[in-house]
Amino acid sequence: MCNFVEGRLISIAFVVFCLGLIFQAVRFFKLTKKKEWVFPPLPMEMNREKKTAGQWINQFLHTLNGTLWKTDPILTIITSIFHVCLIVAPLFLLGHNILFDQAWRLSLFSFPEPWSDILTLVILICGAYFLGRRLFLSRVRAITSIYDYIVLLIAIAPFLTGFLAYHQWLDYRTVIFLHILSGEVTLITIPFTKLGHMLFFFLYRFFIGSEYSFVRGSRTW
Amino acid sequence: MTHQEVKPVETKKIRELLDRQKGKMKRYLSFCAHCSLCAESCFLYMAHDKDPQYMPSYKVIHSLGKLYKKRGNVDRKFLMEMKGIVWRNCVLCGRCYCPIGIHVPSMIAFARSICRSQDVYPQLDEVSSESWL
Repeated sequence: MCNFVEGRLISIAFVVFCLGLIFQAVRFFKLTKKKEWVFPPLPMEMNREKKTAGQWINQFLHTLNGTLWKTDPILTIITSIFHVCLIVAPLFLLGHNILFDQAWRLSLFSFPEPWSDILTLVILICGAYFLGRRLFLSRVRAITSIYDYIVLLIAIAPFLTGFLAYHQWLDYRTVIFLHILSGEVTLITIPFTKLGHMLFFFLYRFFIGSEYSFVRGSRTW
Repeated sequence: MTHQEVKPVETKKIRELLDRQKGKMKRYLSFCAHCSLCAESCFLYMAHDKDPQYMPSYKVIHSLGKLYKKRGNVDRKFLMEMKGIVWRNCVLCGRCYCPIGIHVPSMIAFARSICRSQDVYPQLDEVSSESWL
């Protein structure tokens, strides 16, 4: 069991993760089609006059009106930091890169260990904030089920166990086993649960005709 | 009781309709992160003292979401509740905003079509106790 989780299941998890994402993307493009009519350009894109730095800043601040940066700035900042750390921390962790190097003789640049430690701590704090929102904010509680807590656990568990393993606070052997297992569970579940918003966040941009869109919403279901 | 409340539900027809848009709607429903960030974009939510039942995500999850979960096996009572959600709690102004990019209005519109297929719709020409206008 231990050998399987720490050996073959890692490759299986990576393959399921990659093939799952490819499958979802291919299905998405098969289910959607190109649209003949596309949205007209935005007024700010039509206006090609030269602007001063002040005007650029003004225009930028103006575009923030009515966006999440104005309606819920705290959550927007926390969720942005959380998602960046979520990608950056595991990719540039020294321990992971040593394993990559041993396996494929390929590795990415690594952060110094204290940096990775801080990034992990940031992820855990953000995770605790999300959990607090789910528990105490009535508007989030209204749409929360047990599934949401499980998915939050799946997303946070690899970082929590990784943090514990790095500091060797509990039995290292057990914690590192749980770390590997939870990482595999996360990779396998990403394409098939709501964690799939990792991919669909970008794919849904093909329908949107205004800001933050790809190809000005030229696709339709 | 009005005829809307007593007519039997054709679950087969509902299932047929659900299957027709399954690819789109299931993808929208299952990749909703349940973050509640769409709340403030709904003017009805703001106008009703930030009552969670006016959140776009709440309206979708408790109408279309439940229909897919129950695979169309619903009773008339459920459809009547759904009527309140998709007509009274939403005016389909299309201004709701999802950070992930989920198109909420198309889901509400689809939920309305399913209600209409079962003869459930607001009868604004009849003054009755169910009128909310």
